[in-house]
Amino acid sequence: MSVTIKMENVKKSFSRFEALRNVDLEIQSGEILGLLGPSGAGKSTIIKILTGQLDPSSGTVMIFGESSEQVKQSKTRKRFGVLTDNSGLYKRLTIEENLKMYCDLYDLPVSAMDEALEFVNLVSSKKKKVSELSRGMMQRVTLARAILHKPELLFLDEPTSALDPVNTHHIHEGLRKLNAKGTTILLTTHDMYEAEALCHRVAFLHEGEIRESGSPKELKDAYRNDVIEVELTCGESHELPVNQVATMDKMREWAAAQRIRRIHSNEPTLGDLFMRVTGGELS
Amino acid sequence: MNVSVKRIQAIFVKDYKEFYRNYAISTMVLMPLALAFIYSMTGNMDLQSLFMPINLTFAMITAFIQSCLIAEEKEHNTLRSLLLSPASIADVLIGKSALVFVITVIVLGMCMWILEFSPANLAAMGVALVLSTLFYLAMGLIVGLYTKTVMEASVGILPVMIVFSFGPLVLLFADRYPVLEVFQWLPSAQLILLEQYSVTGATSDIIVSLVVLAVWAVVAVSVSAILFKKRMSDE
Repeated sequence: MSVTIKMENVKKSFSRFEALRNVDLEIQSGEILGLLGPSGAGKSTIIKILTGQLDPSSGTVMIFGESSEQVKQSKTRKRFGVLTDNSGLYKRLTIEENLKMYCDLYDLPVSAMDEALEFVNLVSSKKKKVSELSRGMMQRVTLARAILHKPELLFLDEPTSALDPVNTHHIHEGLRKLNAKGTTILLTTHDMYEAEALCHRVAFLHEGEIRESGSPKELKDAYRNDVIEVELTCGESHELPVNQVATMDKMREWAAAQRIRRIHSNEPTLGDLFMRVTGGELS
Repeated sequence: MNVSVKRIQAIFVKDYKEFYRNYAISTMVLMPLALAFIYSMTGNMDLQSLFMPINLTFAMITAFIQSCLIAEEKEHNTLRSLLLSPASIADVLIGKSALVFVITVIVLGMCMWILEFSPANLAAMGVALVLSTLFYLAMGLIVGLYTKTVMEASVGILPVMIVFSFGPLVLLFADRYPVLEVFQWLPSAQLILLEQYSVTGATSDIIVSLVVLAVWAVVAVSVSAILFKKRMSDE
């Protein structure tokens, strides 16, 4: 597996404000990595640096093995797609007209537009003007635009923030399919369920620093509580350490007396982990 | 420089569709035409009057529409999305200026036809009009880049309209206030002077006027290109 994105010791300052501090990040090709963090943590700054909209103050950034300067070249831009948190669509034009222009910019046949619209479930609405669309539909059009040219690498900044659960599920399914075909995805989110459902690895970003990274399972294992919670039919609740003989004896005793109502594993969520690692909150 | 005709054409077609659906801006093309029509009804015109609709075309159409198109792209974050596509800065700049350039040429032609104005030196006047168009396009771009919304751009363009369209009128008072002669170096005043020189056949003066216009155009285009590159970065 090759490395698609590599950031080493990257710093970014705006006047006196340090937006990023010594960020090290590596994304393998074919991976989905989620950057988790609250607003202002530096998620969008990372995407802007990786897409050539910002230059880092110091450190090294490599994409597809090329320097960040190369990212500004047309041929490199054809290899990635970006979905930003603000739509960037022409509101007086129809969905079709918006995407047609991007087909021309990427030198693609019009059939690429139909495929992308199918992906976001908007084929029947393509004649609608963007000004008539809901925010969720605009988000889907923006996603269609980002995947129009079947990029090798996809940057998604809060991809489902404006979507309802049905469309979120539809988009997640589509992103998994894209990933199965080899697209590497970097997504930012503060939705821990989305991160858990989609990402092979997550990185916790807080105050411009990556505090922890790994697969959701690895992180949960590393920070797990070795305690189970047993709720009895009488309403009592007991926390017992796992893998201990005394716990097993108790459980057997309650089970024989049919006193157990529920057993909780107390596995931490990504949100719990984030708070433990950073001392902050996700939203 | 990475330039693609297909990408420029895509931006041009998009701008055209947006332009004709935006009545607040597209109806502006009628203003210089209406003014030219009114002036043509007055009969004998001096060069100052003859060039008023022409200079207004540059200010109200070339500079104003260009500034609004750029400001609107900024307002809706579409310029950023465009620059994340394979379109280069040159593609975007040329594509976005092409529509206004074409509209300017059409309106100028119609104004001259309504005014029954045929330049004494067609080649020199043609070059001067193209240089003026480039200058006002760049001015529109600069104003559009400095403003955040269409509303701000339509206010921001007012000084350009006042100084460059009405600047030659100030020269009427130059006898009393010699300092006002500085206004003769404005591109709008140079157009009038160029026509005067063409009538008298003063070739060296014609060349000086064209050089002055070229300097204005080169400086404005360079500043706008540098500013465009700088403004498209979030630094």
